[in-house]
Amino acid sequence: MKRPARRLPPSTAALLAGVLAVGLSLPPMRSLIEQSMVWHMVIQMPLLVLSGWLSMGTVSGPSGMDRWGYWNHYGLSGFIAALIVMAYWMLPLTIDRAVVLPTADSMKVASLWFAGAVLRHSFHRAPAVLQMFFMGTAVPMATWLGIYFASTDLRLCNAYSLESQMVSGQGLAILAMLLGALWLVGTIRAAQASSRRFR
Amino acid sequence: MNARSSRPAEPATAGLFRTFSASLAALVAGLVLMLWTTEGGSAFTTETARRAAVERAPQPLPDFSVVGADGEVTTLGRLFASGGRVWIVDFVYTRCQTVCSALGSIYQQLQQRILDDGLKGRVGLLSISFDPGSDDAAALRGYAARMRMDVDVWRIVTLTSAADRRRLLDAFGIMVVPAPLGEFEHNAALHIVDGQGQLVHIVDYDSPAQALALARVLAP
Repeated sequence: MKRPARRLPPSTAALLAGVLAVGLSLPPMRSLIEQSMVWHMVIQMPLLVLSGWLSMGTVSGPSGMDRWGYWNHYGLSGFIAALIVMAYWMLPLTIDRAVVLPTADSMKVASLWFAGAVLRHSFHRAPAVLQMFFMGTAVPMATWLGIYFASTDLRLCNAYSLESQMVSGQGLAILAMLLGALWLVGTIRAAQASSRRFR
Repeated sequence: MNARSSRPAEPATAGLFRTFSASLAALVAGLVLMLWTTEGGSAFTTETARRAAVERAPQPLPDFSVVGADGEVTTLGRLFASGGRVWIVDFVYTRCQTVCSALGSIYQQLQQRILDDGLKGRVGLLSISFDPGSDDAAALRGYAARMRMDVDVWRIVTLTSAADRRRLLDAFGIMVVPAPLGEFEHNAALHIVDGQGQLVHIVDYDSPAQALALARVLAP
């Protein structure tokens, strides 16, 4: 296997994303997520998921990613857990709580990191149909919520201004659709590659 | 494919059973957590949860030293206790151009209704400025004049000590966030405080008729 040159080692990338994501919950960077919903919802939360995802990539040992496999056949348990965690932290109520209550914020950090980790574990072992179940739920959910955040006149989070809510709604919708498109392209490519192999 | 390659000694059905139990556990735990957080699916925002909590149990309010437009220093507790009136309380800052001007005109209408319905002395209006830094007695006087406040119905006060600001806002459940152009944004609502100085209802600021009806029920 040829490795691309000058790429971050997986463990360094995971550590970097983790430090940045957790750092946003601690002073001095904390003021960013306290003042801007964009920093909180569109930057920190996805970064937490990403750092969990990258960390799972560094799991080594006798069977690596196949560990815990019996608990996560076809990635089903992981997809369900990740969907719940992500939906939970998209509620305006919980976003407010994460800003105000340090306990809620640490729960947010831990659970979103966990969601990222189990997602990678799930994607690794899920057939395309189940991946589609996850993406087909998560992407429309986040997109719809993003569009709602961006278009409603109601201030949904007491912790953030309407302006901030609108921008993060747009950001959330764009991010969700981007990830959906990315997955679609990846899946189509993989399907093409495997059909070529069997020809 | 990957699943099959791991630990071939165990039958696949054992793995499926564990996976289904784990999925079910996650689903149930998630559902319980969601219902618990949203109070059975009824509150998705902090504002609805705050209002529901007050409806369930009246909330006693801590006391604060305040100063009025006349420069007279008193406490919120003494103000609420005076005359056993029911108060409709809102939060403002006098520089406000946005939602507070809407609140201001709603309070003007409420003042007129209270006078028309002969509720003077039974239902009072209180505006509390959460910006004691720039709202001194003179600023409050200016606001009172602009709004044509009738002192017997409608009062405006602010904190004498800016250090109390956080505690006051927490007591009522108000969150103030800075907005563009030096303005503030906050969850504006009408807060009904009974004769015992307890917060008993929170009503949307665009439903003044409902606020007045609720206050009238509680009024002596």
